[in-house]
Amino acid sequence: MLTIHPLVLAKLEVGQHLYWQLGGLKLHGQVFLTSWFVIGALLLVSFLATRNIQRIPSGLQNFMEYALEFIRDLAKNQIGEKEYRPWVPFVGTLFLFIFVSNWSGALIPWKLIHLPAGELAAPTNDINTTVALALLTSLAYFYAGFSHRGLGYFAKYIEPTPILLPINILEDFTKPLSLSFRLFGNILADELVVAVLVLLVPLFVPLPVMVLGLFTSAIQALIFATLAAAYIGEAIEGHGGEEHE
Amino acid sequence: MMNFVWLLAVEAAETVEEGGGLFDLDATLPLMAVQFVLLAVALNALFYKPLGKVLDERDGYISSNQVDAAERLAKAEQIANQYQQELAETRRQAQTVIAEAQEEAQKIASKTVAAAQQEAQAQREQVQRELDEQKSQAMATLEQQVDGLSRQILDKLLGSLAA
Repeated sequence: MLTIHPLVLAKLEVGQHLYWQLGGLKLHGQVFLTSWFVIGALLLVSFLATRNIQRIPSGLQNFMEYALEFIRDLAKNQIGEKEYRPWVPFVGTLFLFIFVSNWSGALIPWKLIHLPAGELAAPTNDINTTVALALLTSLAYFYAGFSHRGLGYFAKYIEPTPILLPINILEDFTKPLSLSFRLFGNILADELVVAVLVLLVPLFVPLPVMVLGLFTSAIQALIFATLAAAYIGEAIEGHGGEEHE
Repeated sequence: MMNFVWLLAVEAAETVEEGGGLFDLDATLPLMAVQFVLLAVALNALFYKPLGKVLDERDGYISSNQVDAAERLAKAEQIANQYQQELAETRRQAQTVIAEAQEEAQKIASKTVAAAQQEAQAQREQVQRELDEQKSQAMATLEQQVDGLSRQILDKLLGSLAA
């Protein structure tokens, strides 16, 4: 049995939120604060990169072009050459938002800024954010399926055999569930591990875990975006489509 | 694992106390979704569209330049080929011109030689003829003189006899 003093846990402040009231609705203020920072950073970098567009790119434009090509490749690989273009903004924003959120949580010492309640951290370590993103992904692939195949989209539920109907329906629930919990769990666990290690040994020892955390954060962003694109591609192509190439 | 379970237990306790907790779903969710969609729209206008356009334009620029360059290369090769052909043609023509000139010169030379030979022949023949004529004239005069002389001799002889 692990014996950690309750005070130590209390200092971690897991599950405490800075509540904002908005007409009877409760909001998690710390999540919005950091997400606004992330959104602001993304918009600022995009603005700076596209302010003075050159045919021969350099500096920030070059970097953002690299990012865009990376996102395009990701979407192209999962959705296919023909249909990927309209989905680049969605998949790309998923990747960029999650990636910048995760890294901001890992790199920026948010905890130095004290809030009345809760503490600032990556927006992705709040279940609301990840569920929102996962539900948007579900909506996106439903929309993709219906817009491309109409009501024939329902045919995918009885493919390859009608026996799989329950499993196919279940899939629509497990997809957002697994998407949201994977991201949420990884980021929260990473921040908790780092926090616990910092509490136990404040110097040097947490560093490898922090580096590992950076790696996981990047991988999680990539996984989320790739899976979202794969679901969209699957909805467009139908079961057993091109994704198994 | 035990740790996590215990954390969850603490969470549950906290939830009861202050309404917080790890799995506290509230209005943050829809607002975050709206926020995310707005971010996607903004990034689409600010980032994906302009930079995507630049990427596509650059692709087009490069490929058109490549096609252009390939065309020019083909043209250059064609021109080089043409030049080679023309050069060969010109060489052949030069050869034939030289050969023709030599032939003509040969012809002219042989004609000239033949003409000169003919003239020489003609002159020789004429000289021969003149010579023959003079010879025959001389012979004729000589014969006349011989006739006259022989008659005089005869007359003298006959006269002396008659006398």
